[in-house]
Amino acid sequence: MGGQACVFYGAAQVSKDVDLVLLAQEENFSRLRTALEQLNAKRIAVPRFDPALLARGHAVHFRCAAPGVEDLRIDIMTCLRDLPPFSALWERRTVITGDRGEEFHLLSIPDLVNAKKTQRTKDWPIIELLVAIHYRENGANPCPEWVEFWLAQARTPELLAELVQRFPNEARAQTSHRPLLRLAFSGEIEALRTALDAEVRAEQAKDRAYWAPLIAEFEAFRRAERAESGKGGAME
Amino acid sequence: MTFEEMPEVWQEWLELTPLERFRQSEKLFAQYLAMGGNLDPDPDPTSPFYDPDQWRPGAAYGRAGLRVLRRGAS
Repeated sequence: MGGQACVFYGAAQVSKDVDLVLLAQEENFSRLRTALEQLNAKRIAVPRFDPALLARGHAVHFRCAAPGVEDLRIDIMTCLRDLPPFSALWERRTVITGDRGEEFHLLSIPDLVNAKKTQRTKDWPIIELLVAIHYRENGANPCPEWVEFWLAQARTPELLAELVQRFPNEARAQTSHRPLLRLAFSGEIEALRTALDAEVRAEQAKDRAYWAPLIAEFEAFRRAERAESGKGGAME
Repeated sequence: MTFEEMPEVWQEWLELTPLERFRQSEKLFAQYLAMGGNLDPDPDPTSPFYDPDQWRPGAAYGRAGLRVLRRGAS
C-alpha cells in the first residue's frame, strides 16, 4: 500500500520496505504468521502483534532474516486514518499481474493519495506526483469520478489552473469543499501556492492529532517492554 | 508539476509499464544493496513511528559510536 505501490504507479523508483494493509480476519492473521515465519521475520518495535491494537490504528513492524530478504522491513496495518474499511479499499484496488503469474494488489491511486496525507514531509511530493501521473494517464478520457478526484487532490497551481479551465462547472461545484479552487479561477498563482501550503499544514495537524493518543500508547508499550526485558524477557 | 515539466529521467520512468517499473526498481535496489546500502528506514522525526532507540548499530545514521566532532557555523 505504501512505497511499493508508488513504484508501480511511477511516483517513486525504490522503496526500502513493504507496507501491507490486511483484512482483519483470523484466517488472514494465520496466513500472515506463516508467511512471516517463512521470512524469519521478527518484530522490531512496539506494539506487539495484536489484532485489537491494529484495529485501533497501530502498525506492527517486522524485520526479515531469511536468506534473500535479510533486513527487509515489513509493516502491517489493518486500518488507515480517514480511509474507508478494508472491503471498500479492496473493491477499488488495482491488480497488476506479473510475468510469472504473480498478482500485486495495490491501493487505488485515490486511496493511496489519502493514505499519504500524513504529517511526514516526504509524503507530500509523492501525492503531487501521484495526482499528476493519474491525470496524465486518464486526462484524455476523463470520467466524472476522475475529474472530482483531480480537482480535490491536485497539488500544484499549474495543474489546478489547467483543471479549472478545462472543467469549469465541476470546479465551481467543488469550491465549497476546496475554496482554493477560486484562486485557480482567478489565476492568483502565488496566493494559490500559499493556500496549498496551508492545506498541507492543516492535514498534517489532523494527522498529528490522530496519532497523539497512539503515540502515548507507544510510549507506554516501550516502557513496559523495557521493564520486561530488564527482567529477562524478550521481544517476540 | 506537469509531465512536460518533469526531468527527462522521470519522463522515461513514467513511460514504462507498472510491471516494468517494478522490475527496474528491483534492479536499482540490488545495485543499492551491492554498494553497501542498508534497509533501515531513513530517520524521519516527522513520522509517528520514529523511535530513536530503534536505529541499529551499522545504520547510516544514529550509530552508537557516531558523534559529531565539529559543527560548521550556522
